[in-house]
Amino acid sequence: MYGFEALTFNIHGGYLEAIVRGHRSGLLTASDYNNLCQCETLDDIKMHLSATEYGPYLQNEPSPLHTTTVVEKCTLKLVDEYKHMLCQATEPLSTFLEYITYGYMIDNVVLIVTGTLHERDVQELLEKCHPLGMFDSIATLAVAQNMRELYRLVLVDTPLAPYFSECITSEDLDDMNIEIMRNTLYKAYLEDFYNFCQKLGGATAEIMSDLLAFEADRRAVNITINSIGTELTRDDRRKLYSNFGLLYPYGHEELAISEDIDQVRSVMEKYPPYQSIFAKISYGESQMLDKAFYEEEVKRLCLAFEQQFHYAVFFAYMRLREQEIRNLMWISECVAQNQKSRIHDSVVFIF
Amino acid sequence: MEDDDRCSSSNPGGIGQEEEDEDGKVLRFLDSLDSYLTLLDALSSTLRQGWFELASARHSMGSSRISSVLLDQKVQSAATTFQVRKSIDGSPSESHPSFAISKWASSRNGKCSFRELEVSRVQKTSKNSELRHRGSSNFYEEHDLTINASSTISDSDVQKERSKSLSVFGTLVSPKLRGAQVSFETALDAIVEIANIRSSMLSAFTQLQQEMKKDLG
Repeated sequence: MYGFEALTFNIHGGYLEAIVRGHRSGLLTASDYNNLCQCETLDDIKMHLSATEYGPYLQNEPSPLHTTTVVEKCTLKLVDEYKHMLCQATEPLSTFLEYITYGYMIDNVVLIVTGTLHERDVQELLEKCHPLGMFDSIATLAVAQNMRELYRLVLVDTPLAPYFSECITSEDLDDMNIEIMRNTLYKAYLEDFYNFCQKLGGATAEIMSDLLAFEADRRAVNITINSIGTELTRDDRRKLYSNFGLLYPYGHEELAISEDIDQVRSVMEKYPPYQSIFAKISYGESQMLDKAFYEEEVKRLCLAFEQQFHYAVFFAYMRLREQEIRNLMWISECVAQNQKSRIHDSVVFIF
Repeated sequence: MEDDDRCSSSNPGGIGQEEEDEDGKVLRFLDSLDSYLTLLDALSSTLRQGWFELASARHSMGSSRISSVLLDQKVQSAATTFQVRKSIDGSPSESHPSFAISKWASSRNGKCSFRELEVSRVQKTSKNSELRHRGSSNFYEEHDLTINASSTISDSDVQKERSKSLSVFGTLVSPKLRGAQVSFETALDAIVEIANIRSSMLSAFTQLQQEMKKDLG
């Protein structure tokens, strides 16, 4: 039994819940995707998108279009919607909305640090950062030589500061350390977000627990598959898994010692929610695993809208828009490469 | 006329031998032309596959993780080098350039280890009269390319070098990105083969032209 959110939620959150539900109805439908899949060129895609909510963002783009341009402009729409919701939100919704952007912040930090290690220009790197993950002192990341300096000079004043306690070392930054830093930060962020949602309680805690647990489990599977055949040891791999989720702790123990995709499958098939995912892919192959996970995630995100008076709808909307942008990117790439027969390999329909 | 008859009757095998040599040259030229066109088709399909896998990896890992801004601009030794040699078939007038690629060359400990790819099997199969189908990306399965036995680099070292070159995108990358790397590596091998085939094709054509001029003269 929840805490009577129906009586009080609309006082502070009613307007924004209505806004986000309105945004949700603007997501592309199956008929939109069918039209887009039949396009011959990127200009055709632009023409079809002009009839959707992306129209104003793409109409001034000159031909020939590039796939990265389509993704950038569609992302700008998401950023505008998010910023409108954030500036209208009060506590604790404003903190909840900020939590959604910490993942992008981590990606931007790693992008700047990696690019600097490879002697790239900082301005060039800043242009490639995700707009939702920007913060004031991000350009100063380029001067740090190790993680201790990274924390002391820049990140101590950002929301990522609490996540750094596990990865502060004086070792110089290299590709392996940066990868471990990325995954350790993301692990700490997910756990912090999970604990915050638990404190909120009610429908928000229940629905967000399910969504974040799925995210943690998917991360564990991806880390396992991507680390097969690399120098990452079993102990290091185990340390990157989050301390919550359906797979915690016994599934993580088995995943940590998996050496190929079939062993990962045998671990995951012990958990009923993931049996259906692995039933869609054949033995020994992992190409369609991403799509299977995305489809399951979209199903869970859509279910979040079935209840009212909770904050999980905001998280679900942001993730559904991200999926839509991924779909548009994939369709654009297939059209640009004249591989239209492969479009349905990775497009995930939302409705 | 009697002298001609005496000449032809006294050296019937010589004229037949010349015709056989000319036919051999024509066949060599046509075979290398066929191999060249088949390799071009195979290269096109391998590159297409590589670009698709790269797009698939970007879709899986995200645009920020696979981007041109992450490529390393530090000065570093080349992982792959390309050599041009003069190859002589028979007489010095029949020399033509041949190309070899040294993949994952390492200059550690003062040793140079490499793996060379030669097209010897393709040239041997040019003598067969069986039909080949173009437009197939299975060229590498049909023609088992020989690998020079002078390779001193092990498979695990090759895997390490591959992982090292992919590490610009991070150390935990998707299998799709690794697949794209292998596709582009295969395409690079194909380009070297095409260069070799084209070189021998042009050499065969030159010989044929000289033969025809001799016949007309």
